[in-house]
Amino acid sequence: MKLKRLTIYGFGKFHDRTFQLNSSLNVLLGPNEAGKSTLTQFISAIFFGFPTKKHLELRYEPLDGSRFGGEIAFSLAGTDYLVSRVDGPRGGKVTLRNTTLDLALPAATLTHLLAPVDAQLFQHVYAINEPQLGTVFTASKQELVDRLRHVGAVGSDFWLQQAQQLDRTADTLYKPQGRKPTLNQLLLEHREVTTKLNKANASYASYWELLQQQQQRQRQQADLQRQLVVQRRIASQYDQQLALWPVYQQWQALATEPAQSNTGFQQADATMLERLTNQVKAATATQQADQTQLKSLQTQQQLSPLFQDYLLVTAQVDPLLARLPDITIADRERQRLAGERDGLQQQTQVLEQQYATNGQMPRTFSLATTQQVRQLTANLQLATQKRRRLQQQLNQLNEQYRQQQPTRQRQKNPLADKQIGWLAAGLIVLVGAMFLPSTFFKLVGALLGVAVGYYGVFIVDSSTPASRQQQSLEDDIRDVQAQLREGGRTIEQLTSQLDDIGDAHGMGALPVEQWTAAQEAIVTWERLTQRLEAAAAQLATAEQTVKQFTAAVQAALPAVDATSLATLTAQLKDLQATQQRLQSQESDVTAIAARLKRDQAAVDQSQQAVTTFLQTRNLRSTAAFYQRYQRVQEQGSRASQRTALAQQMGETQLAQLKRVTSRSALAQKTTAATSKVTALQEQLDTVTTQLATGAGQLAHLTASGTQSTLRQKLANLETQMQAVTQEWLVNRLVSQWIAATLAAASGDRLPQIVKTASQFYGKLTENRYTEIELTPTTLRVRRTDGAWRSVGQLSRGTAEQLDFAVKLAFAVVMAQRVAMPVVIDDGFVNFDAQRRQAAYRLLATISTDVQVILLTADSLVTETLPTENLIRLTD
Amino acid sequence: MKFIHAADLHLDSPFLGLRHLPASLLAQVRQSTFDAATVIFDRAIDEHVDFVLLAGDLFDRAEQSVAAQAYLFQQFTRLQDAQIPVLISFGNHDYLADQHQTVAYPDNVTVFGAEVSTQTLTLASGETVAVSGFSYPQRWVATDQTPGFPEHAATDWHIGLLHGAVSTGGAADHYAPFTVAELLAKRYDYWALGHIHQRQLLNEQPPILYAGNPQGRAITEAGDRGAYLVTSEAGQLVPHFFKTAVIGWAAPNLTVTTTPTLTDLGQQVVAWLAANPAGLPTLTALTVHLPQPLSGADAAQLASGDWLALWQRTQQRAMRAANRYVIAVKVVAAPATVAAPQLDAQYWEAGAASTFTAANLQDLFGKLAQESVLADWFTRPQTASDLETAAQQKLAELMGEEAHDHEA
Repeated sequence: MKLKRLTIYGFGKFHDRTFQLNSSLNVLLGPNEAGKSTLTQFISAIFFGFPTKKHLELRYEPLDGSRFGGEIAFSLAGTDYLVSRVDGPRGGKVTLRNTTLDLALPAATLTHLLAPVDAQLFQHVYAINEPQLGTVFTASKQELVDRLRHVGAVGSDFWLQQAQQLDRTADTLYKPQGRKPTLNQLLLEHREVTTKLNKANASYASYWELLQQQQQRQRQQADLQRQLVVQRRIASQYDQQLALWPVYQQWQALATEPAQSNTGFQQADATMLERLTNQVKAATATQQADQTQLKSLQTQQQLSPLFQDYLLVTAQVDPLLARLPDITIADRERQRLAGERDGLQQQTQVLEQQYATNGQMPRTFSLATTQQVRQLTANLQLATQKRRRLQQQLNQLNEQYRQQQPTRQRQKNPLADKQIGWLAAGLIVLVGAMFLPSTFFKLVGALLGVAVGYYGVFIVDSSTPASRQQQSLEDDIRDVQAQLREGGRTIEQLTSQLDDIGDAHGMGALPVEQWTAAQEAIVTWERLTQRLEAAAAQLATAEQTVKQFTAAVQAALPAVDATSLATLTAQLKDLQATQQRLQSQESDVTAIAARLKRDQAAVDQSQQAVTTFLQTRNLRSTAAFYQRYQRVQEQGSRASQRTALAQQMGETQLAQLKRVTSRSALAQKTTAATSKVTALQEQLDTVTTQLATGAGQLAHLTASGTQSTLRQKLANLETQMQAVTQEWLVNRLVSQWIAATLAAASGDRLPQIVKTASQFYGKLTENRYTEIELTPTTLRVRRTDGAWRSVGQLSRGTAEQLDFAVKLAFAVVMAQRVAMPVVIDDGFVNFDAQRRQAAYRLLATISTDVQVILLTADSLVTETLPTENLIRLTD
Repeated sequence: MKFIHAADLHLDSPFLGLRHLPASLLAQVRQSTFDAATVIFDRAIDEHVDFVLLAGDLFDRAEQSVAAQAYLFQQFTRLQDAQIPVLISFGNHDYLADQHQTVAYPDNVTVFGAEVSTQTLTLASGETVAVSGFSYPQRWVATDQTPGFPEHAATDWHIGLLHGAVSTGGAADHYAPFTVAELLAKRYDYWALGHIHQRQLLNEQPPILYAGNPQGRAITEAGDRGAYLVTSEAGQLVPHFFKTAVIGWAAPNLTVTTTPTLTDLGQQVVAWLAANPAGLPTLTALTVHLPQPLSGADAAQLASGDWLALWQRTQQRAMRAANRYVIAVKVVAAPATVAAPQLDAQYWEAGAASTFTAANLQDLFGKLAQESVLADWFTRPQTASDLETAAQQKLAELMGEEAHDHEA
């Protein structure tokens, strides 16, 4: 790049000033304050921007108030550009034109056109002035190296800056010896937190310790609890024993009574006796009650003495009573038989009177006789009947005859009147016959009466004549009458036969008509006689029976009135009735009597039982039993009391108590046991409290979360630390990388630069120093005699010459890539005249390759240098 | 037969990679490992499982957490009350040695010793189960322990309980290295593995599997976390996964089409939260993809964490609504087209070659190596590459910055 023209609108002391520059060496001559530094600054300002208003002294704003800024025309790679910059934001307003093509370009293109040169590089390398050269001495070795590197590689200034920035950042992150940087702080915090965590971790040991303690305590607690239970039991036993002591003593007191046989006098025995006595009592009571009842009943029933007697002998009387109906029948039979006998005797007598002749009864007919008699009688009867019929016929005929008579005849029947008279006469005879002395006469008389009557009625009547047919009738009548007469004869015959028979059989006194009856009567008589005999025999038997019965009754009931059987029967019946009456009633005396009997038996039995009971125990009375029983009872109650006491005390307690010597010893033991319990309880309480505390501590340890929190904090811290470390490392590494890269990049050119610089340095120092050596960290020069000098050993001028040589060498070596003009602003102040001349010559030499703008107050420059373009600033 | 296989409870261990959490969430986080474990034990009791297998790393022995121990005592007692045996093989974090542990766990708990041993259980169903396992006697068990495991016992089932990692053949195999083939050769019915926090099925049948940890504790442990309920089905043991985590982790990506200011970015994140609510309270580390890098100042503010802290304070409601807590916002931008800083790439490469050497890193790390926490981090293999990547990004930023500067 070659600068062609500088046009200043207003900058520092200049305004509206134009400097034409050629492409090689330009010398701008002016005394101090002629504006040499202003021009240098102008070039920098137009290309790289106005400094900010903070650095007002570097801005070179025009003093006369003309327009701030200017323009530079330059050519680059065959193209012409014009850049102008006036006051404006961010370094000023830039206008860029491609004047070859007359093309307006964006302001940003300027940077690219200038790249890699920036303000810094320009200031450090291309704008050479005394203060710049002087920095060599104030700079640190590193800075020198950096500078050299800056010079050595294009764009390295940026990178070096970045590297520095990175290093600075890295320093804020971490310094091995620092305290403030982030990582140092983090490390510190980490240490603190770690310490805290370690402290917290101590709780881990405590935790286990606590856990173990807890376990031990739990075991201890369980053990103590067990012991306590045992001890409590012991203590309570002692307590109980103590409480039971009076009981025990009582028990002991009761124990002194000797034992006695109690068999047979137990509660059961007493109960039994009681029962037995009660039975006796009950039986007696029942008996008495029954008796009373009986009495009351008897009183109520007004029982006869006889009945009372009877009640006592019912067993004997009852069979008799049972026989009473038989006896009564027998008696009745007897009476009947007596009656019958009398009747029979009477009948017999009647029959005898009737039929007996001279006290002799007629004989009975034989069968033949009877037959004969019957035949005869029948014949007689027939005959009689015939006669009666005839008579009747006659009567009828007579009637008819009479009817045929006039009425008067009929009205007046003299025959009929006659009949009544006959009847009456017969009746009188009959009745009169009854008054006759002998039966026979009576009979005859009766028969006569009947015969008279009969005659009167029938015979007379038959003679009654008939009616108007009287004649025929009369004939008939006569005929009939004849017949009648004949019949009469037959009858007489028959009658005589019968009479014969009658006489033969002693019945002559009897009419034939009576024979049948007589025969029957005789048979009856004979039968009666037989019956009479039988009745008499039966009667005797019955009487015997009755007599026996009566005797038996009398034997059983002496009080009975046995005057007659009837009275006896009546009495017995009365008894029976009474009995039955009583039986039918509820309060049956008999039942009571039976009960009484049973009661009596019960009384006897129970009394017997009591007696037996007493006998088996060798006792005379129940009182004796009870006396003994009482004793036994008392003994028993003592024993049972003792047993109860023993029970109250319990077997084990009793056994324990038996071992106790005295109450005071026991009390002592009790106190000891109780105090032991108390001690154990205290221990247990302590352990329990400890457990609770331990549990609390454990819970606290577990729940505090301190460890976790710290650990997480540490983890977070570590993350942060790692991140910071990484950042730090990256910063450092990038810085190193940049350095290394710069070293590498400059590594190519450095030898050239160093070589060229060595030549230049030789020229400048009139070959006093022949070689420059650059290592990554040091710079040294070799004198002609071969001795090495470090920068620090050089004089100020020599050192400046070294820097100058290097810078020029760089500009020359890098000219192909970085065609930036070298602007030297009175850079040779500390050079002696010779070396200054040498410098001028050198500049003239290099100006063929690099545009040189030399600003100097040294007017001698014109002697040494060709002055194709000499501009006097004072002009 | 039914049992639960869980591992890596890591009770009471802190969440990693967090810088700041609000107190409420911190409490939840602190409780999360317990809550997740409680889900497992609750399940065990609810299901009346026959036993519970815990394949190591129940807690971090070195952390000496009281809460973890107290919790285990409490839960084991619970399981004892439910008559559920617990078999534990301690791992590299809860290795056997602890001079402090003076009280043994309840009787239902069996802790395997340093040598492989076998416990035989007779279940309520009458089935017999042999469980073989061992506990780490110290942090590292460098030798393969599988030869010590017996052959399938004469029981109905045989289960291996192993805390370890598949052998890589490298020097880092100090977590009881094993190979799947070795395990299969034992002909067990089930291998309950622990140590790897990401659940993983190494073999289908018989199942050889890592239960994973029940509660994720870092952004690298995103996704479902839980344990396995294993049941016998047709003569085989079939694991059924169930979730236990009470706090989730997520590292979602958010692509923004125009390069925003930080304010815009904040709103974009809020919008994303509203659109993506989480079921569990989820710690979310967002990666935002931008077409161009943020401006230098914004990037610096973001990098310093100040912006996020402010955003977290102001957007608490949005986070609560989405049940997410944004723990980090990382911005990824397509690298800016860098106006070359006149230094050839070869020089940068040469510079990198001389800078990113282990010796230089170590040298730079210097005294910090004395800080064990940082030393641990530093010695991680990926740290160096992480640093290099970060440095490259940083450089890229600087180059961008340079470009910007020129533009200005």
